[in-house]
Amino acid sequence: MSEVKIKAESRTEFGKGAARRIRRADKVPAVLYGHGAEPIHLTLPGHDAMMALKNANALFSVQMEGKEQLALAKEIQRDPIRGFVKHVDLIQVRRGEKVTVDVPVYVVGEAASDALVVTEQTTISIDAEATHIPESIEVSVEGLEIGSQVLAKDLQLPAGSSLHVDEDMLIVNAVAAPTAEQLEAELAEAEAEAGVEREEAEAVGAEPAAEPAAEAAAPAEGESAESQE
Amino acid sequence: MLIPKRVKHRKQHHPRRRGMAKGGTSLAFGDYGIQAIEGHYVTNRQIESARIAMTRHIKRGGKVWINIYPDRPLTKKPAETRMGSGKGSPEWWIANVKPGRVMFELSGVPEPIAREALRRAMHKLPMKCKFVSREGGEF
Repeated sequence: MSEVKIKAESRTEFGKGAARRIRRADKVPAVLYGHGAEPIHLTLPGHDAMMALKNANALFSVQMEGKEQLALAKEIQRDPIRGFVKHVDLIQVRRGEKVTVDVPVYVVGEAASDALVVTEQTTISIDAEATHIPESIEVSVEGLEIGSQVLAKDLQLPAGSSLHVDEDMLIVNAVAAPTAEQLEAELAEAEAEAGVEREEAEAVGAEPAAEPAAEAAAPAEGESAESQE
Repeated sequence: MLIPKRVKHRKQHHPRRRGMAKGGTSLAFGDYGIQAIEGHYVTNRQIESARIAMTRHIKRGGKVWINIYPDRPLTKKPAETRMGSGKGSPEWWIANVKPGRVMFELSGVPEPIAREALRRAMHKLPMKCKFVSREGGEF
């Protein structure tokens, strides 16, 4: 992954008031630490930081006061709804240094029919050189049969990378999809319990008789659950 | 329908509605999900209804995760009852959902099917929601 050059400014005022002022100016408060050095408080340009952080494990080349420092994003705080970056923790790295990072796992290909592919681990921890971190790892499930599994040791890692987790860790599991009859029976039972009317029934003008009955049933269930105390 | 097996207190105070979700704001299991953008109480009936709606649409293809659990009872007094005489009896089980919470997740289906399945499920929920995906960049 290529380096992202980013110009940082030193930050001298702290606290939520100062952080909010920085964010209002379309910048992102950040902190840089690692290798036993004192933490350095920074301000990053908002748009550049946001674009760089779209890639998992982006390698930053932080330029500040004429100096340059390589860093990885260790922790990113985002707004839970709008997704903008609120704060970034950067950890110093050196060229050639091995780092442990979480890399996203993506599934490609079509499994055998009737197989339901479940990705058990959406990221995997690997040891890689800081300057050669893979963006993602692809797992091919082409023709994967029911009952087959892809373990961590089956992953094809790029040269220079190694697993940081147990090699028998389950990554992708192919299980049998429920049959149409099983699914229909399960849903029909759930609908009857919840008092949900099917769309077809509504289309022919059926009376919504199940709804009040189910309404009455709900508190009774609550009572019965509690009476087991 | 989701309901606690046993509770310590039959009747509780109403859960607080203020604030944002502290955790569970990103996808943890699946590739697609429904994120709440408003806070609301979600009843066990609404959760079940949303689950049925999305399962009916994806048919046999995918796997669904429900990340919220209705563990708080709400009470109600009977109709035409004078005030007083103690707290009403438990009527609903609700999950107190704060803005930002990813409530449902889905995987194993192509994105157009996932979008439609989750759109149908969103109609069963009481708050404004949005579709989120793992490849969307934010998560």
